Amino acid sequence: MKFVDEFRDAELGRAVAGEILAVVDPDRHYKIMEVCGGHTHSIYKYGIDDLLPSNVELVHGPGCPVCVIPMGRVDDGIALAHEPGVIFTCFGDMVRVPGSTQTLLDAKAQGADVRIVYSPLDALRIAKQNPEREVVFFAIGFETTAPSTALTLRRAKGENVQNFSVMCSHVTIVPPLRALLESPDLRLDGFIGPGHVATVVGARPFQFLPDQYGKPVAISGFEPLDLLQSTLMVLRQLAGGRAEVENQYARVVPWEGNLRALEIMGEVFALRPHFEWRGLGFISQSALRISDAYAEWDAEERFAVPGVRVADPKACQCGEVLKGVIKPWECKVFGTACTPERPIGTCMVSPEGACAAYYNYGRFAREREVA
Amino acid sequence: MTECLVAHGCITCGDEALPMRVIEIDCERDLALCVEADGAHSSVEIALVSPVALGEMLLVHAGTALGRGAEGAEAA
Repeated sequence: MKFVDEFRDAELGRAVAGEILAVVDPDRHYKIMEVCGGHTHSIYKYGIDDLLPSNVELVHGPGCPVCVIPMGRVDDGIALAHEPGVIFTCFGDMVRVPGSTQTLLDAKAQGADVRIVYSPLDALRIAKQNPEREVVFFAIGFETTAPSTALTLRRAKGENVQNFSVMCSHVTIVPPLRALLESPDLRLDGFIGPGHVATVVGARPFQFLPDQYGKPVAISGFEPLDLLQSTLMVLRQLAGGRAEVENQYARVVPWEGNLRALEIMGEVFALRPHFEWRGLGFISQSALRISDAYAEWDAEERFAVPGVRVADPKACQCGEVLKGVIKPWECKVFGTACTPERPIGTCMVSPEGACAAYYNYGRFAREREVA
Repeated sequence: MTECLVAHGCITCGDEALPMRVIEIDCERDLALCVEADGAHSSVEIALVSPVALGEMLLVHAGTALGRGAEGAEAA
C-alpha cells in the first residue's frame, strides 16, 4: 500500500542504519526521547533499537494517553459508570486500566453498562439510539484524539442530542515535555517528535525545544524508515552543533497543523488551570475541559463527579518509566506481578505503553547502559 | 474488544493514526467510506480535511481524518 510499503524497505533501513553509525561519536552516549507511545510500539515491533549503535539510547516519553491517566480519574469514570441509567462509553484500553478498587471491566461485570467504542461518534450514535438513557463518553488522548471529540460535541449540539455528555480528560503534549526538561534527574540530547499530534498542532509548537532548551527535534512518522531517518536527523543536528525543528513526516504534517481542527478545538475546549498526570504530578495548563459554550454536554457539570485523588500503587514505577528515568524491565513488578493480562500500572495496559511494548516483544531484560 | 487487546496497537485507544484510501464520499454528511491496508472498511468523518477525492490517502484516527498523504514523499 502506498505510503506504507516503501517505508518498510529493509535494504533502505540498513543503509540509514549505516549512516547513523557514521555520524555518531563513539565516545559519546546519546539519549533521544521518542515522545509518542505509537513510536515506542513501532520501535519494538520492528526492532529499530537493534539497528542503532549501542551508545544511542532511545528513551520512552509520556506520550501514551492511557498511561498518563491518574488512578483517581479512572475512579471518577467508574463512579459515573455506576450511576443509574448511564451508558458509559470509552476506548477499549480504558476498560482495563486499574482504578483504586476495580476496573471499568469489573464495573461492567457488576452490572454497569460499559460499552467500548472506536470513535466518539459511535458514542453519539448510541445516545441517539437510546434517548431514555444518559450516554457518557470518557474522552482521553492528546491533540490527535481531541478533534474527534470536538467534532462529536459540535454534532451533538447541532442535532440537540440532550442525553449525551463527555467526561473530558484530553491532555496536551507541550506542558509535560517542559516538565520533563525541567526535571533534574533526566538528561536528554534530543527528541523524536510525535507525528500524529503534529498533524493537528503542526511542527511549530515544538520550536520551544531548540529555542529555549537547545534540543534538536525531528517530527517523525511511524514506519521503520521514518523512525530511523528521524533518529539520523537528530544525530546529524547534534554532530553539527545545531538545534532545530526538522519535519521528517512532511508528507503528512504541515508546519501550521490542521487549522480547521485547531479552530474547532478552540471553540469546544478550554484549558484547565492544572491537571494531574500519572507519575508526573500536577502540570499547569496541560489538559482540556469542555468550554462554557458546550457546558450542557459536559459530564462533569451534569453529574456529581467525585474528583477522587489516589496515590499510585507503591510497587508500580510507571512514573519513572513515563519520565524515561528507568527502563520497563527495571521496575520491580515488570513481568511478574504486572503483566498485560493483569496490569498494575497503566504502562502495561495500552499496547502503546512502554511496559506493554517491552513485554509483548520479548524485551524482558537487558544490561543497563551507563550514561 | 479483543481487537484492542492484541499487540498491534489500537488506533482509537492510543494516539496512533492509520493511512486509509477513500473509496466512497458522502459530502452531505461529511463522511467517506475508506479502506485500510489490510482491506478493512470504515466510515470516516472528513470535516477536517474536506473536500477529498476518490482514491486519496487520508490519515485517520478515532474515526476522523486528520490529514492527507502528500504525493511524492520519499522514503529516506
